[in-house]
Amino acid sequence: MPMLEVRDLKLQYSSARGVVKAVDNVSFDIEKGEVLGIVGESGSGKTSLSLALMRVLPKNVHAYEGQVTLDGKEISSLPDEAFRKQVRWRQISMVFQGAQNSLNPVLKVGFQAAEPMLVRSKTDRREARKRVEDLFELVGLPREIYDRYPHELSGGMKQRVGVASALVLDPKLIILDEPTSALDVSIQAQIMNLLKRLKRELGLSMIFITHDIALSSDICDHLAVLYAGEVVEKGSAEQIFGNPKHPYTQLLLASVPRLKSDTDPKYIPGAPPDLTSPPPGCRFHPRCPYRFEPCDHKVPPQVKVDEGQTAKCWLNVESEKVKAKK
Amino acid sequence: MKAARVLAVRGATLFGVLIVSLLLVIVVLGATGVSDRMIDSLVNEQVRGLRQSLAQTIRDPDQLERVVSEQRQQLISFYGLDRPWYTRLPDMVWRVFTLDLGSARTLKSFEGSTRVSDIVLERLPNTIILVTSALVISAVIGLYVGVKLATRVGSRLDRAMSYLSAVSYALPTWWVGILLILVLSFQVRLFPFGGIISAPAPQDPLARALDVIWHAALPVATLVVASVGGWAYAVRTMVLNTAQEDFVTAARAKGLPENVVMRRHIIRVAAPPILTNIVLGLAASLGGAILTETVFNWPGMGRLYFDAIMALDENVVVALTFMFTVLYVVSRFVLEVLYIMLDPRVRY
Amino acid sequence: MKELLSSGSGKIGAAFFIALVIISIGVIVAYPANFGLRYWSNPVLWADNPQVAPPSWTNLFSSEKHLETKVFESTGQAERLSEPGATRIVYRFNLNYAADEAPSFTSLTVQNVSYQDRPPIIAVTVQRPDGKSIGLYQLIVSGPRPGEQPPFRRYYDTPFRVQLSGEPNVASAVSDFLEQQFSLPISDQDLLVKGVDQAVFGVPDGDGGFKVLKGNYTIRVDTLLYNQSDSVGHLKYVVGGSVFGLLGTDTLGRDLSVGLLFGFPVALFIGLVTSVVTTFIGTVTGIVSGYMGGKTDTVIQRASDILANIPLLPILIFLAFIVGQNLFLIILILIAFGWPGLTILIRSMVLQIRSGNLVEATMTLGASKSRIMFRHIFPQTAPFVFATMIFSTPAAILAEASLSFLGLGDPSLPTWGQILESGFQNGGVYVGYWWWILPPGLLIVITAMTFVLLALALEPVVNPRLRRVQ
Repeated sequence: MPMLEVRDLKLQYSSARGVVKAVDNVSFDIEKGEVLGIVGESGSGKTSLSLALMRVLPKNVHAYEGQVTLDGKEISSLPDEAFRKQVRWRQISMVFQGAQNSLNPVLKVGFQAAEPMLVRSKTDRREARKRVEDLFELVGLPREIYDRYPHELSGGMKQRVGVASALVLDPKLIILDEPTSALDVSIQAQIMNLLKRLKRELGLSMIFITHDIALSSDICDHLAVLYAGEVVEKGSAEQIFGNPKHPYTQLLLASVPRLKSDTDPKYIPGAPPDLTSPPPGCRFHPRCPYRFEPCDHKVPPQVKVDEGQTAKCWLNVESEKVKAKK
Repeated sequence: MKAARVLAVRGATLFGVLIVSLLLVIVVLGATGVSDRMIDSLVNEQVRGLRQSLAQTIRDPDQLERVVSEQRQQLISFYGLDRPWYTRLPDMVWRVFTLDLGSARTLKSFEGSTRVSDIVLERLPNTIILVTSALVISAVIGLYVGVKLATRVGSRLDRAMSYLSAVSYALPTWWVGILLILVLSFQVRLFPFGGIISAPAPQDPLARALDVIWHAALPVATLVVASVGGWAYAVRTMVLNTAQEDFVTAARAKGLPENVVMRRHIIRVAAPPILTNIVLGLAASLGGAILTETVFNWPGMGRLYFDAIMALDENVVVALTFMFTVLYVVSRFVLEVLYIMLDPRVRY
Repeated sequence: MKELLSSGSGKIGAAFFIALVIISIGVIVAYPANFGLRYWSNPVLWADNPQVAPPSWTNLFSSEKHLETKVFESTGQAERLSEPGATRIVYRFNLNYAADEAPSFTSLTVQNVSYQDRPPIIAVTVQRPDGKSIGLYQLIVSGPRPGEQPPFRRYYDTPFRVQLSGEPNVASAVSDFLEQQFSLPISDQDLLVKGVDQAVFGVPDGDGGFKVLKGNYTIRVDTLLYNQSDSVGHLKYVVGGSVFGLLGTDTLGRDLSVGLLFGFPVALFIGLVTSVVTTFIGTVTGIVSGYMGGKTDTVIQRASDILANIPLLPILIFLAFIVGQNLFLIILILIAFGWPGLTILIRSMVLQIRSGNLVEATMTLGASKSRIMFRHIFPQTAPFVFATMIFSTPAAILAEASLSFLGLGDPSLPTWGQILESGFQNGGVYVGYWWWILPPGLLIVITAMTFVLLALALEPVVNPRLRRVQ
C-alpha cells in the first residue's frame, strides 16, 4: 500500500482578479522510501501544492478539498488543531524554497531548528540541542552553527539548516520545494548529494518539487508533471524520461540542453495561463504544437498509457483521433 | 564585542548631537548679545554679595566703593565680559553643561532658592514621572491594539482605527488637554484643574500618593491620547509587514501553535522597526510634555519653560533647553541599546 | 492619483483640501493686506462688540434668551424734513426686543461731519413699546476753533463714539423720565451703577430694580443741519447684547470668526511652504548622498544624522525666544531641522535601487550622473516623496500652533494657535469660554486631518504589501 495517497486535492484562493485555481484535482501516490518529483513552471501551482499538503492555507482561501491518506489514516478529515499536533512536522515536514527567507532573522538557527521539539514535545533544552547538533553534523554542518544567526551563514549552509530542521521530529515524508534554485551549481551538487545520501541511509520518502526536469532525474523515482494546477502526466522516472506521452512533458524534455547533441534545445512558446480563468478544454492547448479538434473545448481525462503511467491528453485516446480524422 | 562597537558609534553620534545643540545655543546667545547680559547679571550678583560682606569691615564709603569697583573689574576680566563673546565659547560650554548659570531673574525654586540649577533640577523628576507613565501606558495599549488590528486587516474596526489614529496624529496635544479640562474639570468636576497636589496636601503618604495620581490622571491621559494612535498604527503596519514574510509561513508549517508564531516570529521580528518608529516620535513626545505641563500647571520642566519665557528669564531658558536636549539624547541612547539587543543583524 | 481618489479617506481628504484652498483664496482676496497690525490689534475697531460673548446661535439652546448685538447704521432710508433755517434728517431704527435681559451697553458713533456755519446737532430718542419715549442724548458737534476756516470737518479720521450707558447726561435724562413716568425717584448716580439701559429698555419691578420690557422699540436719531452743504456722513447706533456673531468674541470684543478665517491661508502657507521646501531639500540630498557615495555621502550622512536627532521643540522655543518672534524665522527653523529626516530615508531607498540592475544598465549606456539621478532614480522614489510631503504638512502647522500657544508666535498675525493662546491666557479654560477655545483647535485638527487622510489614501501606493492583503 502506498505510504501517501492524494486524491483530488483542490486549493483555490480569492484575489483581486478573481478566484485562483491554484491546485485543481491533483492526485498521486508515494511508496515508502521513494522520491516523487513534481515538475512544473513557475506559476503552475507547485508551492501551493506543498502548502496545501501541510494545510498551511493563505488567509484568502476560497476552497480546500480532497482526500489525503498517510499510512492508511485519512489525515484530510482531521480537524485543524489535531492536524497541527499530529501531522505537521511530525509526519510531514518541509524544506522551503530559498531558505534565505524562511529563517527568522532575529533568532539563532539552532534554536529555530529545535523549536518544534522544545515547544511541541516539551523536550529538555539540552536534549534538544544535542539532537539538533547531531542533525547538523549529519547534513555536513559544524555543530557550532547552532549559535549563529541566519545572516552569518551562506546560502548553502542555510539550505542545509533547512534540511536538518525538517528531520528534527523524524517525519515520514519530507516535501522539498525547489531546494536548490537559489544556489549556484557547485553548491547545488552538494545539496543533491546530501539528499541522495539521506534517502539511502535513512530511507526517507520525499516529494521533490522543481522546475528543472533535468535535476529531478538525479533523485526521483517517480514523477508528476504539473501544468496550470493540474497533473498532466504521471509515471516512473523511466517511463517519463523514456516515453513521455504528454506534449508538455515532451517539450520540457526537449528544452534541456544536451552536452553531446547537435540539435538546439527547443523552447515552449507562450506563457503559463492565468489561473483565475484557465483556457477551456485542455489547459495546455494554446501552447500545444499538436493540438487538434477536441482540445479547445473538451477537458481530457487522465488516460492510462502504460502500467503506472497516465497522461491527460486527447492524443492518447484513439477514438478521438479517429473522430478527428473524419 | 561587535555590539559594543556599534553602540560606541551611536553614542558618539548622540554626543555629537548634544554638543551641536549646545554650540547652537551658545552661539545664538553670544551673537545676540544675550550672553553678555547673562554674565553681567552674574557679575552684579556677586558684586552685591561682595559689597555686603565688605561693608562689614570697611566703614569709609569712598573706600568701600573703590574696593568694590576694583573687585568688579577683576570679576569682569575673569568672566571675560570685556572680550568679544566668541572667545568665551569653551567657558560657556562648560558652564551650560554644569548648569552653572547663576540665578534666575524672578523665578524661584520650591524652597525659595534662586539658583538656576536648583530650580531646574528639582522639577526634573516631575517631568520624568509624567512622561514615563504616559509612555508605558501608550506602549501597552498601542501594542495590544496594534496587534489586534493586524489580525483583522480590512475589517471595519481596522478602518475605523485608521481614521482614529489619523485623528490622534493631527490632534495638538495641548488642545486635547484643554478639552479634557473643559469637560472633565469644568463641566463635570471630576478631576482637578491642574497642579500636582491639592492644597492643603494630605498628610498620610498613601493619601498623598493617591492625590498625586488623581492630579496626574488628566495630563497623562492627554499625553496618551495624543500618542497612542500613532503607536497603534505603527505596530499594526509593522506586524502586517512581518506577517507576510516567508519565515512566518515556515513557523506555521512547523506546527507551532499560533500564539507562539505571533509572539516569537511576528512581534519579536517586528520589534526593531517598531522601536525605530518610537524613536522618531520621541522628540514629539518631549514637545508634547512641555505643552501639556503648561496646560495643566504641572510643576515640571515643561511648565518652567513656559513660565521662564513669560518672565523673560534667559538663564532658566538656556538651562532648560540644555536639559531637554540631554533628556532626549539619553532616552535615544537607551532605545539604541534596546534595538541592538533585539536585532542581531546590526551587530556588525 | 487614481489610488488617492479611490479610497474613502482619499475622497474626504481631497474634498476638505479643496475646501481649505477655496476658503484661503477667499480670505486673501477679501481681507486687507496688513490685517494683523491694523485691524486685529486695533482695539478701537472692536469697541462696539460685547466682550467674551458666546456666539449668537447659542440662543437657540438656552431657556433665557440673550440679547443679540444689533448694529444700526445710517445707510438706509431717512426722512428729510424742512424746518425754518434748517434741515432735519430723521433716521428710524426698529428694534424688536425679545430677549430676557437688558443690553450690556448702547453706543452712538458719528463719522465724517462737515459744516459751513453752525455745527449740526444730533439727538437720540427712544420710543418704547409702552408708548413712552425718552429723549436720551443730544450732541452738539464741536464748534469752529480759532483760526479755522470753513468747511469745518470733524470726525473724519477718528469717529466720535459715545457710550450712552455711561454718559452722565443720559443718566440724568433717564432719571427725570423715571420720575415723571413712573414716579420712581432715583438719582443719576444710582442709575449709572444699576445700568442706564436697564431703565431705558425696562420697567420698574417694584423692588428697586427693572424688568425687561419686550416689544418693538424705535430709536430715532435726528440730525439737524443748518446749511445746504452740511452733512453728517455716517451714524451708527449699537445695542450691545451678550451674544454676538457666528463664533463669539474675545476679551477685546474681537469677532472671532473674522480672526479664525484669517488663520486659513496662514496655516496653509506655513504647512505647504515648509513641507515642500523640506521635501525638496531632503530628496535632493538623499539622492545625491545615496548615489554618489564616498565622502559626499559620509558628510551628508553625519550631518543629517546629527541634525535629525536634535529635539525640535526645545530648540525651536529657544530660538524663537532669543532671536525674535517672526513667522519666516519659524518656517526657516522648521525647514532647517526637517530635511535631514527625509534625507536618511531617501538615501536608504536609493541604496536599494542603486544595487538593482536598472542603474547599472543605464550607467553602461553612458548616461551622466545627474541624468541617472534625476531621470531614473527619482521616479522610483517619487510616490514615497509625494506621500511624505503630504504627511509632513500637518507637522509644520502643529509646530507653529504649539509655538504660538506658548506665546512665541508672530504677534502681528492672528493664527489659530495665537487665538488659542489668548483664550488660555485669559483663563478661558477655567471659566468655560468654550467658543474661544474649541473652534481654533478644531480648525487645526481638521486641517491636519485633511492632509493625514490624503496621506492615508496614498499608503497602499507607497507600501505595496498593504495592498496585497486587501
